[in-house]
Amino acid sequence: MIVTAVLTAVVVWLLFYGTVATLPLGMICAAAGAGLAALGRHSHDGVLSIDIIAQRSRLCSVNPALKVCGCVGLLIFCVAADSVPVGVGLALAMLLLTVAAGGLPLHDYLALLALPAAFMLVSGLALLFSWEKSPVGVINLPLAGGWLSVTAAAQVRTLLVMAKALGAVSCLYLLSLSTPMTDIINVLRRARVPAVVVELMYLIYRYIFILLNMHRTMRDAAESRLGYDSYRQSLRTTGQIYGNLLALSFRKAGACFDAMESRCYDGEIRFLEQAKPLRPLHILTAAGLALLAAGLLFAGGRM
Amino acid sequence: MREILRLEGLSYAYEEDRTALADLSVTLYGGQKVAVLGNNGAGKSTFFLCCNGVLSPASGEIVLEGKKLERKGPDRSLLRRSVGLVFQDPDSQIIAGTVEAEISFGPMNLRLQDEDVRRRVDQAIANMQLEDFRSRAPHYLSGGEKKRVSIADVLAMEPQLLLLDEPAASLDPANSRLLEQNLELLSRRGLGLVIATHDVDFAWRWAERILVFHRGRLQADADPESVFADEELLTRCGLEQPILYQVGILQGMKPLPRTVEDMRRREMKAAESV
Repeated sequence: MIVTAVLTAVVVWLLFYGTVATLPLGMICAAAGAGLAALGRHSHDGVLSIDIIAQRSRLCSVNPALKVCGCVGLLIFCVAADSVPVGVGLALAMLLLTVAAGGLPLHDYLALLALPAAFMLVSGLALLFSWEKSPVGVINLPLAGGWLSVTAAAQVRTLLVMAKALGAVSCLYLLSLSTPMTDIINVLRRARVPAVVVELMYLIYRYIFILLNMHRTMRDAAESRLGYDSYRQSLRTTGQIYGNLLALSFRKAGACFDAMESRCYDGEIRFLEQAKPLRPLHILTAAGLALLAAGLLFAGGRM
Repeated sequence: MREILRLEGLSYAYEEDRTALADLSVTLYGGQKVAVLGNNGAGKSTFFLCCNGVLSPASGEIVLEGKKLERKGPDRSLLRRSVGLVFQDPDSQIIAGTVEAEISFGPMNLRLQDEDVRRRVDQAIANMQLEDFRSRAPHYLSGGEKKRVSIADVLAMEPQLLLLDEPAASLDPANSRLLEQNLELLSRRGLGLVIATHDVDFAWRWAERILVFHRGRLQADADPESVFADEELLTRCGLEQPILYQVGILQGMKPLPRTVEDMRRREMKAAESV
């Protein structure tokens, strides 16, 4: 989280250097970095926590088809619109929805956003700098007989790319932080995705947790017998654990198949779906978001 | 009592020379509480898988409510819906992402109407006190809760006979007590219960009939008193007498006490009469 905060401060400074006066810019950068560092909290078990957050979200009861269509639609719009206001506006709207309406604490949201944000910021750095023969940029550092420069054009381009990426990631986050995997799979089934794909998704989702659990137990058992004492030893242990995991999964798959057979499994997996009806408020919110995105594009124009 | 399932001369072998069940004949009734005892590898699990139709026996006959069943086709599905099987490890049974969806898997396979499925799921959830977990993901539940889900899974198929493979293994005392209470309720409703267990104290306390398996053969099929009185049988099959049985013998009690409460009640009565 600290790394992301520092990166953010640096990238913001480079993005606006030359367009905003130095003193206010310095203050904005320091505030952005410090705010992120203070509000964001680091969490290690990313994948699992997203799944739990989705189940606890207050937006979990919203019709999943609406969420999937809305989020994917806005994501495509955000990428296609090529507009900084649309990207930033959507990112803010999604943050507001997930935090205020979904009930996710702000620092958890920022901590989850830190991972993709770190990637975006590093690529932002790469986009900002270019090697020039003469000092043409707003910032120029002498390097190898030329100049490492940040040009005004690069600033504009980077800002656009990062705004689009942030908006798109935020759209996906609203979906994944409010919709459990089973709901998403159900939507895919309704959208006539082939049955074999949907059934595989159900089983993979369930078995990820079983395999993770088995792996954790085996790793702890190996650890307790000093299996990771030296580098050589830990390589050997890891290999054995993966081999064992394969054998165990085969056995587990056999037992699972027997259990399914005993409940009259006939080659097709079907579950009862929880009814999550469309509500006027939710449709209005989705329409409002679409209008907001269109309005931002109209007012801000393309850049 | 109403006969539900009758096995006649049933045999099964996983490999040619390794017999798991040999010449098994047994009849199971509705509303009866049966414990199945026997050490590891005695054939208890194979017996269950044959009763439920997951395994097809090499020879012998299966008779369901007086009707002889064919090995394949609709008869096998009939057997699976009439005889429910709860596996020892809930994780090998649970496949769905939410408790409600999981319990609906069986009834959905019976091709029932949606309202009917919903009614059965609701009833199974109520029976196993899972109301609070309805839309939770099974992988975030505790062992005891998962066990209840795996029983509700099978109850939703409305079987007449319920087979449970070591249901109390890896449950804490509070959860085992809850399980026993739930089983008692089901039994009162006329469901036949067959439980494979290693816990002789539980078998003594709970069962009205005991089947003892050893090396794939049925060694005894009798009431608990006669089974635990047969010391030769117990030694041969690696079993022990229940604590309360031994205490009752030592105290010269007749009939022998089945539970601690039963014993306490009788001692109080004896103290009053003095």
